Amino acid sequence: MDINWAQILLNSVITGSIYLIGAIGLSVTYRLSNFSNFAHAEFITLGAFIGYWVSSQLGWGLLPAFIIAFLLTGTVSLLCYRGIFQPLAKRGASTIHLMIASIAVGFIIRYSIGAGWGWTPQYFLNTWTTYEVGAIRITGLWLLLILVTLTSALTMHFALMRTKLGKAIRASSSNPELAAASGINVNRVILITWFIGAGLAAIAGIFRGASTQVWPMTGWDIILPIFAVVVLGGIGNYHGAIVAAFIIGLTENIGVVALTNLGLATEYRMALAFLIIIITLIVKPQGLAMFFRRA
Amino acid sequence: MSPILSAKNIDAGYNDVIVIRDISIEINTREIVAILGPNGSGKSTLIKSILGFAKLFDGKVIYHGKDITGITSDRAVHMGIGYVPQINNVFSNLTIAENLDMGAYPCKDKKSIKSRMTETYDIFPELAARKKALAGNLSGGERQMLAIARAMMAQPKVLLLDEPLASVSPKPGSAILSKLNSIKDKGTAILIVEQNVQKVLSISNRGYVLVNGACVMSGSADSLFDEESSRQRFLGLEEKVLDNN
Repeated sequence: MDINWAQILLNSVITGSIYLIGAIGLSVTYRLSNFSNFAHAEFITLGAFIGYWVSSQLGWGLLPAFIIAFLLTGTVSLLCYRGIFQPLAKRGASTIHLMIASIAVGFIIRYSIGAGWGWTPQYFLNTWTTYEVGAIRITGLWLLLILVTLTSALTMHFALMRTKLGKAIRASSSNPELAAASGINVNRVILITWFIGAGLAAIAGIFRGASTQVWPMTGWDIILPIFAVVVLGGIGNYHGAIVAAFIIGLTENIGVVALTNLGLATEYRMALAFLIIIITLIVKPQGLAMFFRRA
Repeated sequence: MSPILSAKNIDAGYNDVIVIRDISIEINTREIVAILGPNGSGKSTLIKSILGFAKLFDGKVIYHGKDITGITSDRAVHMGIGYVPQINNVFSNLTIAENLDMGAYPCKDKKSIKSRMTETYDIFPELAARKKALAGNLSGGERQMLAIARAMMAQPKVLLLDEPLASVSPKPGSAILSKLNSIKDKGTAILIVEQNVQKVLSISNRGYVLVNGACVMSGSADSLFDEESSRQRFLGLEEKVLDNN
């Protein structure tokens, strides 16, 4: 069997791009709020549905879909944080309590979406031109995804490294007590990161939905590899997450080839992400953060 | 002259446990005040309660004549109260320059931040040479200097220091004390919690001695140093150390 390695590499970049956009918010809020927010999966789903509604049902196109999904999903995440997680944390809820609460919040959002839009998979109506460059085939949607990922990654890098707010986010996630003692309103920083993180998750949801299908499990389908990115990259480590996203993307795409050659179902590729989480936690719990200490 | 900062009849602690009871202290401008006492006496709890890091059960905190009881730590910095914790007192994932930048967070004027940074590097030339070094890679003494420098970037009127000499070897420890003296001379009042009684009293104007969460003695640094009973009961000084002075 001939293997098109160039295509596999490109597919890995595409997979990694969705995971990266989906993981940024989860990683930073995980570190700042000190719990893993499983409702992040539903922020991805919500973004996919809002994108589908604006782009395909209202017919307004993709750009308004990105903007509206970003803002609405960001607002929903703020309401979740202010209305549920923050009050719980103030009442002394542990990491486990918050995590379970996030699973509950995720269920509520997921089934609300199901009640509103139904459980039958929906498809974006956009059509995408396919380009062929040598052995590589790439659609317009994938080119857009790569462009959005590059822009988001560079913007986030610039914001975190150069702006006062970005440094305050890094400072607050590293040492919240000292950040407060430096005059930083840590609570405001947390709210901003929840908003931006969920907004980016919505963008990831639109790309995932537009390239596959939109249904109430859209986010849940990819939350495991996104958690793998967060763990492998080092929780809260933005630069680690970039590298981890592409490692997971590559692993998954090479895994598909290997599984096919072994005559196994390609659904097992999800197990690879799980395997990476387990190996990372056993061998190097800090993940790739050891290479990116200025995070 | 009214004190710049005073804590009156403070009861404070953590969760439901009261660690310090009925403690009153005051600090005046251009003054270094030491809080002394053995381990577990509640020294750190006292300064943490001023900033909202420990639970204040009773009492009042007055700053510049205004009641600021229960203020959050970030608001306290904006008002002019700086704080240097004993541990985890730098952002280890940020460079020296970024740490100082975060210290000046309440200031919005870029020019002012730049001039503050120049002033800070004048006081701490050791840091100027390594602006781009990660704080996590610094030695104990360098970290402590960075921690104080970070707090000074907000140009506080009062600086609260929690054991700045802990885990610092003697030479950088002496350098830190001399920097604190120059900070005081420039007009910042300093409240310093410290185990190293002999060293801290050498730069302090006054002091308070806490034992088991209560203030058992207060007075000028000289009187505390000379007080035989305090030396034996509370300060834990070795006779031979005193003899050498």
